[in-house]
Amino acid sequence: MSDQPTTPSPAEATPEPEQLEAAAVRRSDAGNWAKVSPTLHLENVPEGAINLNVEGRRTASPMQGFGKMWQKTYSVRIPSSIASPTDVVTQWRAAFSSFWPPGNFFYSPFTDLSPGDVALLNLKAVGRVKLSTGMLVMYVDDEAITLMTPVGHFFAAFNTFGAHSDGDDTIVQIQPLFRSGDPIYEMGMPIMSRMEDRFWAQTLRNVAAHFGVEDVEVTQTKVCIDKKRNWAAVKNVRHNSLIRSILYLVATPFRWIARPFKKDADPDAQAPDR
Amino acid sequence: MPEQRFDAQVRQEGSVATMDLSGEINRGADDRMTSAYDDVAKTGAATILLNFTRVGYINSTGIAVIVAMLGRARNDGRQVSAYGLTDHYKHLFDITRLSDFMNIYDDESTALAGVGAGA
Repeated sequence: MSDQPTTPSPAEATPEPEQLEAAAVRRSDAGNWAKVSPTLHLENVPEGAINLNVEGRRTASPMQGFGKMWQKTYSVRIPSSIASPTDVVTQWRAAFSSFWPPGNFFYSPFTDLSPGDVALLNLKAVGRVKLSTGMLVMYVDDEAITLMTPVGHFFAAFNTFGAHSDGDDTIVQIQPLFRSGDPIYEMGMPIMSRMEDRFWAQTLRNVAAHFGVEDVEVTQTKVCIDKKRNWAAVKNVRHNSLIRSILYLVATPFRWIARPFKKDADPDAQAPDR
Repeated sequence: MPEQRFDAQVRQEGSVATMDLSGEINRGADDRMTSAYDDVAKTGAATILLNFTRVGYINSTGIAVIVAMLGRARNDGRQVSAYGLTDHYKHLFDITRLSDFMNIYDDESTALAGVGAGA
């Protein structure tokens, strides 16, 4: 094997590491990132929301998922005379859930998404099943918001919602980088992938419509980054949020029956119908 | 503050390819990171060392660029380690759980010893 550099070596121009460190001009971005927390914690769960599969969970990057790793990019163009990238992201961040397709809910603790917020998601699934899961707001700046999924979510993912300039247009973009969360989700990937495509395309149309741009064309690319499955993540099955959401639905009559007894046991309990 | 253009240079010592990263790792870093990885792939190196000493900024799309590179490396059976991260970026690698997938060292000599380049 050759020990020759494959691209021009920076060695001659590279002084000691300490000098390099001093030379590198570092921008402060600490405020853009969530703080490290071993597990997720939900605040202000609204009445009526199904709160499962988030509290106490760890986050999962695309490296912690099971299936092949994919990167999808959904984009629409709107004239920059209507909205700059910063305009788009500022308004997206302020009304994030309002752009989701109907019947899907994103409950965040505050109106404006901020790094470290944990949002509760109730999503349309199969039949009457409402999939309860969540997201950590991992990063926010003027041109991007990135959400990270918890273990048990159907995807182990970073989802970036952003905008940037391209000539006279602002490109509004959603870019998920993900693997399926576990083998059960991986079996459903063909269906889930189509559902995801429809979901994010509609979200982008809603964002464009918010700025008065109707009938936009949504372009989509899909790249397989790693075609090998991550067998170490098989154990994620025990946290599968779809299975737990189905079990929650099946158990609904039993919760109704048990509710009066719970109230008797604790007269101050609020007992929302979740 | 003007953006520092991202660059990645590859050098090889035995079975270890070091990628010297510099500038800002953001959306614009994707193409250069990909081509640098292609350079590593040509060498057949089994291990990649990412040198973050001269990296001034990483945003979330930059993290996605790094994850995508990790995904390619995993697909090709290459190990990835890193050194030269400030405390802030070590913290960031914990948030994003990248530190679960790569060993992080303080400096190049420790990293080379850690990945067994001297053996």
